[in-house]
Amino acid sequence: MEQTNRRQFLIRTAQMTGAAACIGIVWTVLIQNQAQVAAHALRPPGALSESDFMAQCLKCGQCVNACPYDTLKLSTIADVAPIGTPYFIAREIPCEMCADVPCVPVCPSGALDRNFTDITKARMGLAVIDEEMCLSWRGLRCEVCYRVCPVRDKAISLTIVQRETSRHAVFEPVIHSEHCTGCGKCEKACPTEEAAVRVLWPQFVQGKLGEHYSPTQGDNFKVQDIGKNTNIAKELKPGSKEQAAPGMNYFNQSGGREGEIPGGKP
Amino acid sequence: MTSLSRREFMKKSIAATTAATVGLPVTKAALAQARNAEAGWKWDKSVCRFCGTGCGEQVATFEGKIVAIKGDPDAPVNRGLNCIKGYFNGRILYGEDRLTQPLMRMKNGKFDKTGDFVPVTWEQAFDEITAQFKRVYKEKGPAAVAMLTSGQSLVQEGYAAAKLMKGGFRSNNIDPNARLCMASAVVGFYQTFGIDEPANCYDDFELADITVLWGNNMAEAHPILWSRATDRRLAAKDSRIINITTYRNMCSDIADLEIIFKPNTDLAILNYIAREMVQRNAVNMDFVNKHCVFATGPVDIGYGMRPTDKFAFPAEKDTQAQQLKHTIDKYEAIAQRRKEGTVAETAKAAPDAHWQISYDEFKRGLEPYTLDFVAELAKGDPDESLNAFKNKLKQLADYYISGRQKNILSLWCMGVNQHVRGVWVNEQIYMLHLLLGKHGTPGNGAFSLTGQPSACGTAREVGTFSHRLPADMLVANGAHRARTEKLWKLPAKTLNPKVGTALMVAMRGLEDGSVNFVWTQTVNLFQSVPNTNHWLKAARDPKNFIVVADSYPTLSGKVADVILPAAMINEKWGGYGNAERRMQVWRQRVNAPGQARADVWMMLEFSKRFTLKEVWGELPLPGLKVDGFPENKMPSVLEEAKKMGYNEDMTLYEVLFAHADNKKFAWPDPVAKGEDNTVVKLLGDGWFVEKALFEEYRQFTVGHQHDLASFDEYYADNVRGLRWPIVNGKETKWRFSEGNDPYVKPGEGYNFYGPLLKATGTGDLDGVKDATPKPLPGRAKIFFRPYAAYPEQLSKEYDLQLCTGRILEHWHTGSMTRRVPELHRAAPSAVLYMHEADAQARGLKHQDLTWVETRRGKIKMILDTRGRNKVAKGTIFGAFFDEGVQVNQLTLDATDPLSLEPDYKKSAAKVYKA
Repeated sequence: MEQTNRRQFLIRTAQMTGAAACIGIVWTVLIQNQAQVAAHALRPPGALSESDFMAQCLKCGQCVNACPYDTLKLSTIADVAPIGTPYFIAREIPCEMCADVPCVPVCPSGALDRNFTDITKARMGLAVIDEEMCLSWRGLRCEVCYRVCPVRDKAISLTIVQRETSRHAVFEPVIHSEHCTGCGKCEKACPTEEAAVRVLWPQFVQGKLGEHYSPTQGDNFKVQDIGKNTNIAKELKPGSKEQAAPGMNYFNQSGGREGEIPGGKP
Repeated sequence: MTSLSRREFMKKSIAATTAATVGLPVTKAALAQARNAEAGWKWDKSVCRFCGTGCGEQVATFEGKIVAIKGDPDAPVNRGLNCIKGYFNGRILYGEDRLTQPLMRMKNGKFDKTGDFVPVTWEQAFDEITAQFKRVYKEKGPAAVAMLTSGQSLVQEGYAAAKLMKGGFRSNNIDPNARLCMASAVVGFYQTFGIDEPANCYDDFELADITVLWGNNMAEAHPILWSRATDRRLAAKDSRIINITTYRNMCSDIADLEIIFKPNTDLAILNYIAREMVQRNAVNMDFVNKHCVFATGPVDIGYGMRPTDKFAFPAEKDTQAQQLKHTIDKYEAIAQRRKEGTVAETAKAAPDAHWQISYDEFKRGLEPYTLDFVAELAKGDPDESLNAFKNKLKQLADYYISGRQKNILSLWCMGVNQHVRGVWVNEQIYMLHLLLGKHGTPGNGAFSLTGQPSACGTAREVGTFSHRLPADMLVANGAHRARTEKLWKLPAKTLNPKVGTALMVAMRGLEDGSVNFVWTQTVNLFQSVPNTNHWLKAARDPKNFIVVADSYPTLSGKVADVILPAAMINEKWGGYGNAERRMQVWRQRVNAPGQARADVWMMLEFSKRFTLKEVWGELPLPGLKVDGFPENKMPSVLEEAKKMGYNEDMTLYEVLFAHADNKKFAWPDPVAKGEDNTVVKLLGDGWFVEKALFEEYRQFTVGHQHDLASFDEYYADNVRGLRWPIVNGKETKWRFSEGNDPYVKPGEGYNFYGPLLKATGTGDLDGVKDATPKPLPGRAKIFFRPYAAYPEQLSKEYDLQLCTGRILEHWHTGSMTRRVPELHRAAPSAVLYMHEADAQARGLKHQDLTWVETRRGKIKMILDTRGRNKVAKGTIFGAFFDEGVQVNQLTLDATDPLSLEPDYKKSAAKVYKA
């Protein structure tokens, strides 16, 4: 009971702060606070892209109220996310990935996509492993992250490898972004002092291959896209002198060596 | 640590350890830097506190505290690695709620069973315990008091407790929690080989081509052994791992073959494989003729429940009735060559009776176990097709019969031992290996793994069981008692010839009034024994007095009368013996907090409070009827004692412990290397308790196939434990085979020299025909054991099969690991694993709070349909580590009738929304 009251209080405080901000009392604070959300402050499942989310979120706290596990919080002044918006920190309370996703349908604005129903499609964040500090990568039999993962064997798998002359195989946890929902249970459960697996916004951790490069056959490899952004000039009619054909000016200039005649002519 | 960031430091020291482990080069500079950061730390060898694997540890102390821990790179068991529990070994000493003062229930300044716990002095606690012990002991004799110990007790602790109970109090009521864990394995060893403990060792993990797991979730329960088995699978491309289990677990991730079977049908699968061996002429007849005999025993042996329903809850009565009568079902009828519907009465004869049979009779027993029959009976996953399952069974038989070139290793643990026919299954696995002639040689053998760090070293070898004496001797054997009395310098007939109460029987005794005093050490029985609702209530009966010695508050403490704060692993001197007969030792490194004391000190201090005339006079012992002893009582041995130079006012401390031979081992001793010994200091009489007790115990082993090395040898800097028998300074990796075992003479090839049960009657599958004992020197027994159903079958009401077990993150009842915040966070509560379809059928979903109910009780659990254990439809699984859940309120206390080990794996349950 105490828990609920405290929660209500926190939500109300955040709402009130939001209201106060609107009437300009803490305008400057708000301005500063509108800065980027921290990489480890994760949005609820089904959240639109951050800019759309920020545009639509009413800061009403309905999703926070609907969360059965106290995972979601409303940010307050100088918090890790813009004021009044919902977020969660994986190491504190991760998302339990409720099958009925109760936080989404209560969203009045659509900042949480109403068509979002399949929790396994959530991409709240992406887990990333610090292989230097990960106990399993060091050869210890830990793999706690693997066992707590709700989409185990898809989002986290174990790569089992031999290790030099040791007679003990190593069970290396590996994250697969196509299945990781970013629920954060791995980060919460990681037994190292600072979690060796973190869940962060995907754009903070994910690289991107050049679209021209296909590492495997069968990728969406579009050859016509190569060079789509370059400005190749139109072909000119033979003999046209109005415009320079590609390379024409260059060839017409001198080689730049001393004694050479500009234009290539004697 | 100043010039080096923590991260850098961790990287470097881990790198140094890892490099040593895996043979990678590490720069001298990096090593020097790591060493610099550890200036002032003192590293010394130790052993992991948790499972039976026995990983070596290095423990660093600084200014009286454990500051660091790492896997010991020189330890052959784990080569520098640990599991996540081992990684936190140092932390378990420093939980916030360590017990530091004796606590007793008091009212108005006096002990009162209905009072609240208040802190008392050790003196007050001992006074009350002694008074209560003497009250029960005088009135009812040695059978009404019990000492319940542990496979985690140190060797010396177990030895002191056993000697005090058996030699001092003349009571065989000492039994360890190893009864809940390894007892079936022990009886299997006794009956098959005549001697306890495995013939194989961990080296076999790297030598086996085919590794078969029979009911053993090694991936979680023996994490470091599993990384060895896995490494072998990767290193040898032709090697195979087979996982035979009642539910899919993490071992299946790398297994080449996974067989999900219905509980108890392992009995049938093993007979099917044996039948295939016979049919395909794969039996190594030369080996069998030279080194084995065939044997069998009675079939209708019951389920180790009480023969009366007087104490049963109303809902339990139908299950309990199975103990007296059991109707033969369709499958048992075929498997036991009987008629379906026959009402079989539980035989009055001893369930462990057995007799020799011919090879033809053995084959006749196997005949019904055809592929068709066994597949239909044993298929455990309703979603698997019968054909697919048949193919798997055939493949399994193929692996066992894959020829002389292939090394085959069978491993098992709780799935086989915690089984109403656990002894039988142990014997059947030996049956396979003996038929093949592949046992106790490099890479080949049936290897019984152990659950606890010293189930072997303490509970079994020292003999803290109600039927045992040190080094595999038995209380019921006159010659064994005589040898023990001689070594212990006791008058003849001091030792009680009547087997004491097994742990489960002692717990029932609290309820039925036959046991009124219980002292528990290093064990949390009121959470770990099955069917706890009975015993939790019985403990509070005003006639009963419960002493709990432990390091942390546990559920058992809640129902105790006195709680004694105990020292933990590195706070005392001691040794553990693991599953491969490897004894490992450590020094006391830090002081226990507050007034916490070592269990060995408690035993010795308690022994000071008894004089010979109180315990060695005539004592009541109802039911005693043994040649040479008066009926129903233990004779006085005081006169004999006086002849030996004792006087009746001497204390048990003087006679059993601080005697002249032990006092020769003086403290300080160079082996201490500057470390302290709190036990010695507290006793104040200058003898090195742990060394003296070890050397006294060692006398039992030398020359008796259990030869231990000396105390000092184990402490040598370069020793990381030694595997007994250690003869001429050489340890033994494989027993019973020539060239490996010093007790096997050249030319013998094999010698199954175990001395127990080495003469039996003869007969056929149905019974003894000639009771004349026929000796079988040097031979092992190949048992035929039939399939039998378990007592609590599923019903319309209780429609789910509840299995219990362990998870990697927690140890036993969690009293230590749940105090490590990181481990608690990693696995905060025991959840109920269930198949998604079973959940849907009950209107339940993942994460719902549910009631789980059996005939014995109901508990709330959070449902997990995405769990690590992927149970088939109809099966549910809950781990027992969680005090907040207490799965053992649900479990049936049926036991194997031979080993009296409970079967935790087969309770019928129902689940509904809470």
